[in-house]
Amino acid sequence: MFGLPLAFTAPAALIALVLLGALYVFLRITPPRPRQTVFPPLRLLFGIERKEQTPARTPWPLLALRLAIAAAAILAMAGPIWNPLLFGGGAGPLLMIVDDGWPAAPSWDARKALINSRLQGAARDNRLAVLLPVSQGGVDIAPADAARNAEKLRALEPQPYTPDHMAILPPIRKFLAEFPRAEIAWLASGASLGQADPFAQELAALAKGHEATVLLGKDTALALTSIEDVSGALEAKALSVGPSGRKGMLRALDAKGLTIGEAPFDLAGRDSATVTFDLPTELRNQVSRIAIDGERSAGAVLLLDERSKRRRVAVASGATADVAQPLLAPTYYISRALGPYADIREWRDSASDPIVSLIGEKPNVLMLADMSVGAGPAHDALVKFVQDGGVLVRFAGSRLAASADDLTPTELRRGGRTLGGALSWERPKRLAAFDRDSPFFGLAVPNEVTVSRQVLAEPEPGLTAKTWARLADGTPLVTADRRGKGLIVLFHVTADTTWSNLPLSGLFVDMLRRIVALSAQSAPADQAQSKDEAAAKTQPPKSALDGYGALGAPPASAQPIAADFTGPADAAHPPGFYGAGEALTAVNALRPDAKLTAADYAGLPVKADALAVAAPVDLRVWLLTAALVGLIIDALASLWMGGALTLRRAGPAGAALMALLVAVAPSPRPAHAADQAPISERDKEAALSTHLAYVVTGDAATDEASRLGLLTLSRVLSQRTSLTPGEPIGLDPAKDELAFYPMIYWPIVASKPQPSPAAVTRIAAFMKSGGTVIFDTRDALAARPGGPPTPEALWLRKLLAGVDVPELEPVPRDHVVTKTFYLLDGFVGRTTIGQTWIEALPPPDPHDTQVHPARAGDSVSPIIITSNDLAAAWAADEDGQPLYPLFPGGLRQRELALRGGVNLVMYTLTGNYKADQVHARDILDRLSH
Amino acid sequence: MTAVAHAPDKSSGQARWRSDAASLAARLPSLVVAAKQLAQSVMHGVHGRRRAGPGENFWQFRPFLSGEPAAAIDWRRSAREDRAYVREREWEAAHTVWLWTDRSASMRFASPMAQATKIDRGVVLGFAAADLLVRGGERVGLIGLTRPLATRGVIERFAEAVSVDEGLNAAPAPLPPAQPLKAHSKAILIGDFLSEDDAIRRCINALSAEGAEGHVLMIADPIEEAFPFEGHTEFVAADGALRLRAPRAQGLRQDYLERLRRHREAVREACRDRGWSFAIHRTDRPAAGALLALRMRLEGPMSRLSAGGA
Repeated sequence: MFGLPLAFTAPAALIALVLLGALYVFLRITPPRPRQTVFPPLRLLFGIERKEQTPARTPWPLLALRLAIAAAAILAMAGPIWNPLLFGGGAGPLLMIVDDGWPAAPSWDARKALINSRLQGAARDNRLAVLLPVSQGGVDIAPADAARNAEKLRALEPQPYTPDHMAILPPIRKFLAEFPRAEIAWLASGASLGQADPFAQELAALAKGHEATVLLGKDTALALTSIEDVSGALEAKALSVGPSGRKGMLRALDAKGLTIGEAPFDLAGRDSATVTFDLPTELRNQVSRIAIDGERSAGAVLLLDERSKRRRVAVASGATADVAQPLLAPTYYISRALGPYADIREWRDSASDPIVSLIGEKPNVLMLADMSVGAGPAHDALVKFVQDGGVLVRFAGSRLAASADDLTPTELRRGGRTLGGALSWERPKRLAAFDRDSPFFGLAVPNEVTVSRQVLAEPEPGLTAKTWARLADGTPLVTADRRGKGLIVLFHVTADTTWSNLPLSGLFVDMLRRIVALSAQSAPADQAQSKDEAAAKTQPPKSALDGYGALGAPPASAQPIAADFTGPADAAHPPGFYGAGEALTAVNALRPDAKLTAADYAGLPVKADALAVAAPVDLRVWLLTAALVGLIIDALASLWMGGALTLRRAGPAGAALMALLVAVAPSPRPAHAADQAPISERDKEAALSTHLAYVVTGDAATDEASRLGLLTLSRVLSQRTSLTPGEPIGLDPAKDELAFYPMIYWPIVASKPQPSPAAVTRIAAFMKSGGTVIFDTRDALAARPGGPPTPEALWLRKLLAGVDVPELEPVPRDHVVTKTFYLLDGFVGRTTIGQTWIEALPPPDPHDTQVHPARAGDSVSPIIITSNDLAAAWAADEDGQPLYPLFPGGLRQRELALRGGVNLVMYTLTGNYKADQVHARDILDRLSH
Repeated sequence: MTAVAHAPDKSSGQARWRSDAASLAARLPSLVVAAKQLAQSVMHGVHGRRRAGPGENFWQFRPFLSGEPAAAIDWRRSAREDRAYVREREWEAAHTVWLWTDRSASMRFASPMAQATKIDRGVVLGFAAADLLVRGGERVGLIGLTRPLATRGVIERFAEAVSVDEGLNAAPAPLPPAQPLKAHSKAILIGDFLSEDDAIRRCINALSAEGAEGHVLMIADPIEEAFPFEGHTEFVAADGALRLRAPRAQGLRQDYLERLRRHREAVREACRDRGWSFAIHRTDRPAAGALLALRMRLEGPMSRLSAGGA
């Protein structure tokens, strides 16, 4: 509207804007609040004819504000929408084709929003719509209402592969025939993957007479492919749809998803860039995938399997194991050439057959330098190795020339005649350029490489096809032949420099690397294959990427791949790892040699940068909020002008305004306030200093005795020890937080009801978490040894029935609790005859003859049970006068009771520290020597 | 214009006026002092030593006219000459002066422009006049409150009476009780006289029905004459009973002043019709001037009337 991206859902309400004129007149004469004055001759004023009808005018800022409020309210009623969805539409249903392959994944949220807005726009116009993801395939489509489409859209996720667009063509054709006025919108990924180009042409033909749009995102999707001839270094190729200037970071991840290495890439206007990871060889093999950092799509993840891992190469030589002159050993050059790119295993153990023992190490490639293999176990092992997919690379030499065997790609001319005078050229021969079919194709042939001697192949029909490299005169230099799943490669020269200087050249390294890389294409040796041929044929999915490139469990629709599966991932074979055990095969979203090109949407109108469209914003909320704020300001201004809002009142008025604003403004984190119950002042206090605590039993006399007893004990503690406890605190175990108190004194009153099960649970938790509860049954006088249990004892038993109580014993004389501050014999209270029970210590080591003055367990006893009524013995009034009589009595007993209390508190606070402390001298003595 | 009239909140309104009354009672001692000082200053200012001397009751000797009772002859004076003289006795038969001070709500108002509330000024003027009159030998009474008094402590007596009445009567009437005063007595009415013209006229007529003469002193607050209000103003009656909201107070000014003039003219007319005098005193002026003028007027027409009446 008016060139602005603004639309109204109820434009009729805008008519009310006309009322603003009337409102203007009305507001103008509405005066502010009058000044009040007492005027005795008021009577005279009555009945005065007004000569001037116009009263004082409302100040214009206030007038403008009020008009603005009214205008805002009216506009809000009209339902304004910023960035409305203005689609041409058409009367028919909307056909929404959605590319849901991985190229769409990075911008999936925006795509979904766009789809949603289009669908909603159609729903607003009362049009049906079809949401057709390309991965849906050839299923027939029918228009649906907004609710079902929204449901379908919610479930829509990008696929990890690029579905075939041609599959959805028949349903579209049928649909368009049925609905000739349908509108077509294709939210395309922009890449030509999945036959997007022919589909676009077909669609353009079909869409004649229909309104059709191709919606494209702005940013181009990125992808990663592997580089086929990687043999050593970890390399990947970053691709983009068309040239792009994007740059970023590649991450190499191990199987657990941890980053092993990073490498930057910069497309710099090209459509691909090769990235090399500079990783130590140990780490390199752990890389299981490479991903583009920040690019969430299955295409931006490159899965690496065994094939791309570092090869294991076994090297054996027919020469004696004399390595005194390494430069003359044929294995030396092979090892040096392949060392940086593969694991080299050389035969060192002279006691066993080199071939058998090396094959036992399961190499990918076995290199035999000038070694003839006669019939025997070594021959059988070699045949099996090659049949199972191993690569056998042989180098010629005097031995091979002397006695050729059947493990060569081609028949060799036998005998010494092959070599020697007849084949001694005047000049050494150079290499010819590699054929296109050769794996070495593309390698530059240096001029300085010369061959002076070689073994010759018998001419035979297939020799040319078997030849990978030849000399300038056409004689084969390298021949190869497939045997079973494996490969036999023969270098017609030696691996050392006696016959040619090839091993000295860089070409030798490249050739060997290519051969080693070839070993990746042949299926790796797998013991399972031999066991079960059927299982070897297919590999079940083990894990799969989703559309966003996250590795997870494979979907139910994933099918096993055939062993020779090479193509890119599709619907049945999502990218991921296939196979069982360690030998996994990686399937990637893109072929290694794939290129990403921009799709050609010629014939269809393209709306580029469709995703950048901002979502529609409903302005009603903002307008109403503005109106509300305006009303508040107006009210305040009116009050101020009317004189009601003086400085004296400004404070409360401002506070009221702030309260209103706070109430209106949505609290950002309202939930958090409710999460946590407020911490009571008492808990804060209890957490800040140590307090002794007792359980309030409900019996007033007992509670008073507990409080005074602990008060006296606290006083004594602060006098005699470095501990200064706060005021004793009475606790209700059902309600109060117990965690702050190291020791809780619990006098048992048998007449009171048992605490609730919840309270017992809390007590148990308190004891488990390191607290100590002192139960005082106070029945030492009533209880008789062997007699019936007292009511207090029964009450305590019932209470502890729900608590995990450790094994108890009467406090032994050497228990650390008797040594923590004072050296005590026992714990006395008002009575001295009661027994004090404590968690049983582990029995002393019978073999330990050393005398220990104190023993302690691993932790503080969670429970101490006494019957001597400790608190009453401690209790004293403010002047220090004892309050309760003792049995048998005496100052000494009271002092001992207090000392016992001090020891108990120290025990709960220091644990077995004293038990260790008694050995301090021994420990120091030991340390000093 | 929006006129809002509503009954005042009974409890709070009455309490307010009652407290004002109490404050008037509390102020009375100081008002008494002020009235005494005022009376002294006026006495000295006008009469000075002319009044000194013991011959206070003597007025004059006049020649004896035939037909008069012989007992009227002052023989001592007559003995000096051949002619017989009569001693005038007019002064000995003192006039009764009735004083009334408006203590209604509208009187308890003082604008920032005024020196005192109207009621203070009215009470001070009334008491001072009473003191002067008593010194001059007249008997002065408060209408409805006291009998005519001639004591020298008349101010205190009046103050007592007013104080008692303040306690009893919460809302004094804006006009004196319309009961005729006896002939040859005088009335001094002090108030703002903002009631209806007719009511004032009726009151004056009633008071003078038997020939009493009087003086009306209208006390006005300067703000009532200036009317300096502008803008949106809500006027509240002094007793809070009436409100008037004027969106443009300045627009009322002209009309109001005209009405005020007419109102005063009407009051003046009512006074003149009965031979009463009328004066206006503004509370931003000193009280002494008003008292002086009052006294001059008390003397002026009184002599004329008494001469006429004699």
